[in-house]
Amino acid sequence: MVNILSILTMNMISPINIIAVSLGIAFFMGLLGNKAQRTSYILLIAALLFNTIVSLQWLYGLANNLVEAQQIFTAGYKPPFSINLLMGLNEAVIASLINIVGLLGAIYMGSTLKKNGSGSQVVFLVLFMSLNVIVLSRDLFNIFVFLEVGSIAVAGLVILQKGVKAVSAGFKYMLATGIIAGIFLIGIIFIYRFTGSLNLDQIIQSNPAIKQGALISSFLILIAIILELKPFPANGWALDVYQAAHPGLSAILSSAVGTANLYVLYKFTGMAGDSLMHYISLIGIVTFVGSNLLGINQKKARRLLGYSSVGQIGLLIAIMGLLPHSNSNFKLIFFGILTSHYFAKAGLFWISGIIKAENIKEWSVLRKKPVLLFLFLSFILALLGFPPFPSFWGKWQLVMELSAQGQFAVIIAILVGSFFEVVYLMRWAGYSIKLEAGTLPEIKLSKYIPVILFGLGLYAVGYFVSQSVEFGNTINYLPLLVVAVLLVVDFLPAFVKNSLSILATGWFAYLLIPGQDTIKFIFTIIFLVGGILTLIPGFQIKGKREGFYPSAMLMFGGLALLIEASNLLQFFFAWEIMTIGSYFLIIRGKKSMPHALSYMLFSVGGAYLILLGFGMVSAGNSGLSLDLLSSIKVYPVLAMSLMAVGFMTKTASLGLHIWLPGAHGEAESDVSPMVSAILLKAGVFGLILLMLASGGEQNSYSGLFYVLGWIGALTALVGNLGAIFQEDAKRLLAYSSIGQLGYILFAFAIMTHMGWLTGLTYTINHFMFKAILFLAIGGIVMKLGTHNMYEMGGLIKKMPFSFIAVLIGIITLAGIPPLSGFGGKWLFYNAVIMKGWYFQGAVVFFAGTIAFLYLFKLIYSVFLGQLKDNHRNVKELSIWFLLPQYILIIGIMVFSAKPDLILKPIGNAIAMAFPSNQLTWEGTKALSTLGYWDATTIMVVIGGMFVVLLGWLMFMSRKAQKVEQFNMVYAAERPERPELTHVSHNIYAGYNKALGFLVAPGITNFWNYTTNLVESTGNFIRRIYSGNGQSYAIHLVSYIVIVFIIYLTAI
Amino acid sequence: MIRNILIIAILAGLATVFVSLFWNFGSSDTLTPLATHYANNGVEEVGAPNLVTSVIVTYRGLDTLGEVTILFLVAAIVSFFLKTENTNKEENSPKRETSEIILTASRLLMPIVMVLGIYVFVNGHLTPGGGFQGGAIVATSFVLMLMANPRFQINHRIIATVESVSGISFVFIGVLGILLAGGFLDNKILPLGTFGKLFSAGAIPIIYSLVGLKVGSELSNILSNFQGIQMKNYKQ
Amino acid sequence: METIALITAFALILIGLFGILSNKNILKIIIGFSLFDTGLHVLIVTVGYIKGGTAPILDKVVGTSNAADKIVDPIPQALVLTAIVIGLGVTALMLAYALKLYQAKKSLNITDFKELKW
Repeated sequence: MVNILSILTMNMISPINIIAVSLGIAFFMGLLGNKAQRTSYILLIAALLFNTIVSLQWLYGLANNLVEAQQIFTAGYKPPFSINLLMGLNEAVIASLINIVGLLGAIYMGSTLKKNGSGSQVVFLVLFMSLNVIVLSRDLFNIFVFLEVGSIAVAGLVILQKGVKAVSAGFKYMLATGIIAGIFLIGIIFIYRFTGSLNLDQIIQSNPAIKQGALISSFLILIAIILELKPFPANGWALDVYQAAHPGLSAILSSAVGTANLYVLYKFTGMAGDSLMHYISLIGIVTFVGSNLLGINQKKARRLLGYSSVGQIGLLIAIMGLLPHSNSNFKLIFFGILTSHYFAKAGLFWISGIIKAENIKEWSVLRKKPVLLFLFLSFILALLGFPPFPSFWGKWQLVMELSAQGQFAVIIAILVGSFFEVVYLMRWAGYSIKLEAGTLPEIKLSKYIPVILFGLGLYAVGYFVSQSVEFGNTINYLPLLVVAVLLVVDFLPAFVKNSLSILATGWFAYLLIPGQDTIKFIFTIIFLVGGILTLIPGFQIKGKREGFYPSAMLMFGGLALLIEASNLLQFFFAWEIMTIGSYFLIIRGKKSMPHALSYMLFSVGGAYLILLGFGMVSAGNSGLSLDLLSSIKVYPVLAMSLMAVGFMTKTASLGLHIWLPGAHGEAESDVSPMVSAILLKAGVFGLILLMLASGGEQNSYSGLFYVLGWIGALTALVGNLGAIFQEDAKRLLAYSSIGQLGYILFAFAIMTHMGWLTGLTYTINHFMFKAILFLAIGGIVMKLGTHNMYEMGGLIKKMPFSFIAVLIGIITLAGIPPLSGFGGKWLFYNAVIMKGWYFQGAVVFFAGTIAFLYLFKLIYSVFLGQLKDNHRNVKELSIWFLLPQYILIIGIMVFSAKPDLILKPIGNAIAMAFPSNQLTWEGTKALSTLGYWDATTIMVVIGGMFVVLLGWLMFMSRKAQKVEQFNMVYAAERPERPELTHVSHNIYAGYNKALGFLVAPGITNFWNYTTNLVESTGNFIRRIYSGNGQSYAIHLVSYIVIVFIIYLTAI
Repeated sequence: MIRNILIIAILAGLATVFVSLFWNFGSSDTLTPLATHYANNGVEEVGAPNLVTSVIVTYRGLDTLGEVTILFLVAAIVSFFLKTENTNKEENSPKRETSEIILTASRLLMPIVMVLGIYVFVNGHLTPGGGFQGGAIVATSFVLMLMANPRFQINHRIIATVESVSGISFVFIGVLGILLAGGFLDNKILPLGTFGKLFSAGAIPIIYSLVGLKVGSELSNILSNFQGIQMKNYKQ
Repeated sequence: METIALITAFALILIGLFGILSNKNILKIIIGFSLFDTGLHVLIVTVGYIKGGTAPILDKVVGTSNAADKIVDPIPQALVLTAIVIGLGVTALMLAYALKLYQAKKSLNITDFKELKW
């Protein structure tokens, strides 16, 4: 293969042949007439294949330095006397991208092109010829001519789609491009007037920026090419075409034509002075943010893709204006974001043509074809800049570059725009996964293959870009490989994949544990051993459980990478991988769609804050090591706060917690423990990294940590209060998680030795008891088919093992001796008193008493009281649910009896950062300055008392007579609502009067209000796209005038 | 009304752009270096007295190829865009027959107009005019026929053949330029001949004739497609 | 001379644009485009004008020696030809579109074609 390529590169085919062959064949196709459609179609494919081969050959040759960039002089005269073309590496890359989409696009549109005869094929071929010329040409007027060829060809291809919509869209397109061409021409003729040349290189050399007339001419040229790139809001005409044209053409417009025009802009930017570049970046950012804002309320798939296309191209324009083109990373960033857009947008438009669903809600039909669904989701994630796609690296590097320049406002604007895009694309993804699936039309292979190839291309280019980005080669792709394997074997039965996943998780742990420090070791155990334990219940599930295992392993893989991360890039990569995986896990629940979206939005918002913080960390420092967190040079307090808030979206702290109850409560039974007991700890892990890096006791962020302490305390209170009013067992546990994570945040924020011991003890405890509780309750919920506690009751006799597990769980949670929760509490009081945070401590203490209430409600409603009639035949949970619970119970027992096994090494590990007031150990006795605690003794004493009492009770009740529960009979009336028959339904209604204001949905209302504001703003602005082509033309001219006036006032 | 005022305001804004260009314009007394080069070396390099032709056909030959492509493209688009469903020709009779005088006169004029067109494009390198102008004149002869007699049918087959063959030949000559001379569309594949004669300036007369034929047939093609629609409208 | 031509050109461009932006009738819009294009063409030719220059055809009157001092710039004249042809192509295609739009709705009012919006 390599040999063939090297032979090919010996005889480089001159790029001029792209023009000659394309036009020769196009003219020949005219000779064929409409009869020989087959022949002409074969000729079309041959010509496009030829173009592709030529450009790829140059790409190969130039990229490997086998050949040098070549100038092609037409007519045999040197420029500026004749038109010249240039084939360099940039041109080869862009031309290859264009020609590949041309070839695949022609295959995709095969039936349409054949049906419309050789005429349409001629137009198609000429379009791609013209795109090649505008990329290669170095002559201004020549570029204009072939831009016009391209515009006319597009106007011709629009009407391949039948119906008046396409025709009117095409006419609007012609109106707009006609005006743009006129402006362009004025610019060209005046630049000739003022510089005396039409050759691009000569014009740039003469530096038009110094002469006012030439500057205005180059302004006109640049604004014209920018208008071709559809800036917001002067782009109604383009949106209509995206929507109404044949999806194959929309794909070409978005990927090939967009790419070519962007490259033309790139060539032209040399003409603009720095001041103009400034405006170009501004135009790009406005387009990116505005277009994505307007996309939020769009329901029609192709128009939505149009908005997204416009937005993405806006981002690329912005990058072109923001970074000096000599910047070593400029091309990498541009290429990364461009290729993601290119592959994803073409792929999505193609899919839209395959499934023929106009409304995004109908895209659930994709589920009928899992490969298509996988590709669809890959494309969406690529657009959003998730790893491992090229845009992830591009976006990362962009933020780092902009941070180095101190352009944080720009970063924020770009992240806001990206966030809007996340809103609509992830909502769409949710629809495709969850909604009722219709019927899938028959899929032609010719339409299917291009999509698959582009999906593969996306991953391949993602890997390629990652290897070029700084520190990108430090990324460990092992977890993603595991996910890939699981995707391939997704057709196997669930138990096989479950075993594989457990093995893989174990393998990760085996690879990670050696040489790990104590804190990372603890988190490895939580993430990976916890992963294995929560995967075990999966054995109970019959069938294939499609998509579950790749998602789960994406999450666990991400968590493993998080621990392994030694630099900021690895950390962020892991963070994003974990987020995607957990999203796909959470959305699997029956009613999870909206909750998964809200989880995703908070996660992405958090991730952006982290990214912004990382940018600040890297600015002014060299390298990306995680150690830099301790030497932040730019706005350290702000950077620290941003990252902390970012991590707190994952730990669901107050204000950022509203996603959690739904996401955890509605998830599948074995997913809830994964996300609750394990995933939440990722946020904790992040906070620990931050706080350790902040300098421990001697940190300079005491204000920040004081605030975090209060947030933690209030989170504990609000979370626990929320839990007591729940009737849904899983939501109760979910709210309880919020409260528990509040404790953890509070404890760490104390920033003392004792505080950190408390925090880590809570972390370990919460991992164990929340896993037990969610496994038990989740198993019961699955068995009974209801979440409502008032529909349960009296299950103690049916499920004694589950009862014991839950009992142990809640004893641990409540901090009742002798279990490890008590140890946590003891440490907590020590820490609070030593720190002197009495007010906050009181709030947390109060929250702790509230915890008793919901725990009582939980165990009472589910296990005690009367058995419901319809539950007479329920059996104990299966071994697969019980096994992990009892393993964890053993863990709790060990931790309770011998806490020094874990706390001693932790104490040593944090002694570096927190040297004063350490906890000392005398055997099993822990000593603080305030007192002592001997867990083993407590365990022995209380264990002894328990055994004695139990024995006595059993002895006393040996003669007791067993009475069967009988049916309740109501005298002539039955309560209308079944919950009224349950004694513990709404038992805490009374507290609502006193404390209800604390759980009033103020925060939810705040977020709802924000969402509504954004949506209605988008909806309002959207009205400018009135559908009237003439208005669009007016927008266009006004846009030129407004930009010119703004520009004029600045120069 | 408000809309029109708004438009005028916007155009006034655009006019400021023009005013600033106007202000910087000045008048010029000398050619740009580029044009001076053409004026001084054009004869020697290309051999055509008409410098505009030299620029169009040789120096900026690629643009010309693009132009030809545009017409070709429009002809192709219009033909599949306005494709009419097998209209029965007999029923498409216009409301009133054309008078005999007009018919005869137009038939008489048509070949003359066509010859004029051919003259213009064949002599494109010597005198004002050239392929596009000549081609347009050739197409005018068809316009004349169509205007005079709405039932006049342009033979699609012949036109398409002329269009394609001339196009292919144009590209072929361009490629010959790479093989035999300095580059794509170089006119020196043929000897430059005696300056000012019909057979001079290398391949320019051939290229311009091909362009003329191509433009003439393309324009006629577009016309005949519009005619097809017109026939259909008569029917309705 | 250039001043008049330049003013004419800009005026034609603006008038053409006004026609495009204000007329509801599609055919009138296309006529507006023709005016707009004509303005552009006049502009291009004006830019190539040299004071006192003659047509850039080196016939017996001009001669081949010192031609550079006598002729106007040939390049804009070549460009304008291209621009005219492009304008012609665009106009022809727009007319074809107008025909199709008329066939679809029996209307040439551009405000009647607003199916796609927002």
